[in-house]
Amino acid sequence: MTSAAVDLEVVTDQPGGTWATVGRHMLRRPDVILATLVSLFFIVVAAFPGLFSRTDPQHCDISVAKIKPQGFGHPHPFGTDPSGCDVLAQLAHGARPSLLLAFTVVGASLIIGIALGLLSGFYLGWVDAVVSRLLEVFLVIPLLLAALLLLSLFRNIDAGDGDFATIVQPAIVLTGFGWMGYTRYVRAAVLESKNLDYVRAARALGASDLRLMFSHILPNAIASVTALVPTAIAGVISAEAVLAFLGIGVRPPAISWGIMISSGAPWFTGGYPYLLLFPLGCLLATVLSFVVIGDNLRDALDPKLK
Amino acid sequence: MVSYVIRRVLLGLFTVLLVLLLLHLLTTLAIQLNGNPALAFFGDHVPTASQLHAVEVRYGLGDSCYQQPGNPCLGPFWHRLSEYAHGDFGTDLEGRPLTDLLAQALPNTLRLFVIVTITWLIIGMLLGSVAARFRGRPIDHSIRLTSVLIDAFPVFVMLVVYRFIFTVPLTTWARRTFGSDSIPALLFKPSYSEEHPWLTLIIPGLLLGLTGCAPFLRLVRAAQLENYNAEHVRTARSKGLSNAHVTAYHIVRNSSVPVVTAVGFVFADALSGAVITEGVMNIRGMGNLLWQSVQKSDVSVVVGIVTILSVVTIGVMLLVDLAYAALDPRIRLD
Repeated sequence: MTSAAVDLEVVTDQPGGTWATVGRHMLRRPDVILATLVSLFFIVVAAFPGLFSRTDPQHCDISVAKIKPQGFGHPHPFGTDPSGCDVLAQLAHGARPSLLLAFTVVGASLIIGIALGLLSGFYLGWVDAVVSRLLEVFLVIPLLLAALLLLSLFRNIDAGDGDFATIVQPAIVLTGFGWMGYTRYVRAAVLESKNLDYVRAARALGASDLRLMFSHILPNAIASVTALVPTAIAGVISAEAVLAFLGIGVRPPAISWGIMISSGAPWFTGGYPYLLLFPLGCLLATVLSFVVIGDNLRDALDPKLK
Repeated sequence: MVSYVIRRVLLGLFTVLLVLLLLHLLTTLAIQLNGNPALAFFGDHVPTASQLHAVEVRYGLGDSCYQQPGNPCLGPFWHRLSEYAHGDFGTDLEGRPLTDLLAQALPNTLRLFVIVTITWLIIGMLLGSVAARFRGRPIDHSIRLTSVLIDAFPVFVMLVVYRFIFTVPLTTWARRTFGSDSIPALLFKPSYSEEHPWLTLIIPGLLLGLTGCAPFLRLVRAAQLENYNAEHVRTARSKGLSNAHVTAYHIVRNSSVPVVTAVGFVFADALSGAVITEGVMNIRGMGNLLWQSVQKSDVSVVVGIVTILSVVTIGVMLLVDLAYAALDPRIRLD
């Protein structure tokens, strides 16, 4: 027991040191701080849309249609759309599907990707052969083609109402075609570190395969995978907008920024530019802030650039 | 080398087979859960049982396994494989052979790809090289900022903004200034035109290329930076070679290896981008064809197109691997 405890300490101590350095590196950059604040703001919006607008986004009164933005204090501070829905309420409630989808998809693909990468790198042999074939099959079919095919094939199947039910189909498809990057990174890191001396020592002391994988090898792979996460979240948010734009992602009556963009775009030149600009601005601000965080995290974690 | 190529081709064929199987299982499951796609043939009419049966047999949906959820339907799969092997890719719901449809759509998508690739190479190589050359200076930071901004712009946002905000005033302006059939007027036309395939594709291709060039740019920068600090470059400089010579032959050429491989991967990305671009700009290419057949639930066309596209992708990946070996003498294929 004591030897195992010593092992654990050595292994966890080092990432702690790395993470502290990474944190310091990130906090020195003003753009990272700004991006973190923006993304936190939108996460709060997605979690508690009621804080930002008391109006029900589904309650649309055609008699107040196409009011231009009035500023705060007015019942419709950001105006209303052609069917009289409140734009601010829609913006606030439209954040939830995008962000919920992004975190679900990235979380699920991380789990699948890390598990498969660990298994194939650790055992090699036929496990590796099967995983590599599987990886290639999913890599060959481009994400959007797969999403197009699957979401329209299964579009008549009703998953029910509720926040999660509206995103479950896009979530499954985007996860199914999104885990490959993590698997490759984890597999490469496992191959690099599985023959290091401390891993051999732990094996000689009788550590089980699971213990070797999770507490000795995995911490080496975590850094390279972490750098991918914020960028992947940004990617899923924009993929959701694309799917909504094509009419196969989150579908009305649920609201998302993608739907607002596609329905607001034709009104831009007709004198209602805000119908496009508000959802577009929210989408770009969110995606941009995650991309900035990801970009800096990658730099901070890349030993070559130091 | 030869045995490596043979092994890769065989593995590639195996992957194609697996892709086909995956697509088959998914479409079968969808048919079993969703109902009969043969009904799509009749549109709003309600067919009699014998009419429906005739159509089902005609499109290979007659097998009873399509009514049993969970049945993998391997019989029809085998049948389709043997038809593909004979070069018969089936017909769409209106009876036109898939090969004809593809022959119409392919040139436009290829034109789009040519423009996209040229955009990538020019913007990515140019900005990437400049950023690497002036590392840490203001120009490097502004190029990196631009690449982050490009990254944050989903391709459809770019296209939608261009189509709904810029095309109308630009076309009006170009028509008024240069005449309605002039080159600038056609260049900014909001949708694709059959008579001027290249001119009307330039802007959509540029936009698609622009959104894809950010990762490419970063890769070029990283690859060149690695070479700037390499020992062979220091040797070349100490031999007294000119700066331009060192940059062209020792840095750019050496850093082209990872760049070539990236083109292969970005190719698959561009296929996805093509679906959106062709949809928004009404270009009659592969992506548009696929999108329309998806909406008509024309299963045989969808499976056929995705099959052909994945074969092309596998072929491109194979070529990339071989190019890698040809460009980098350190890599031996045995």
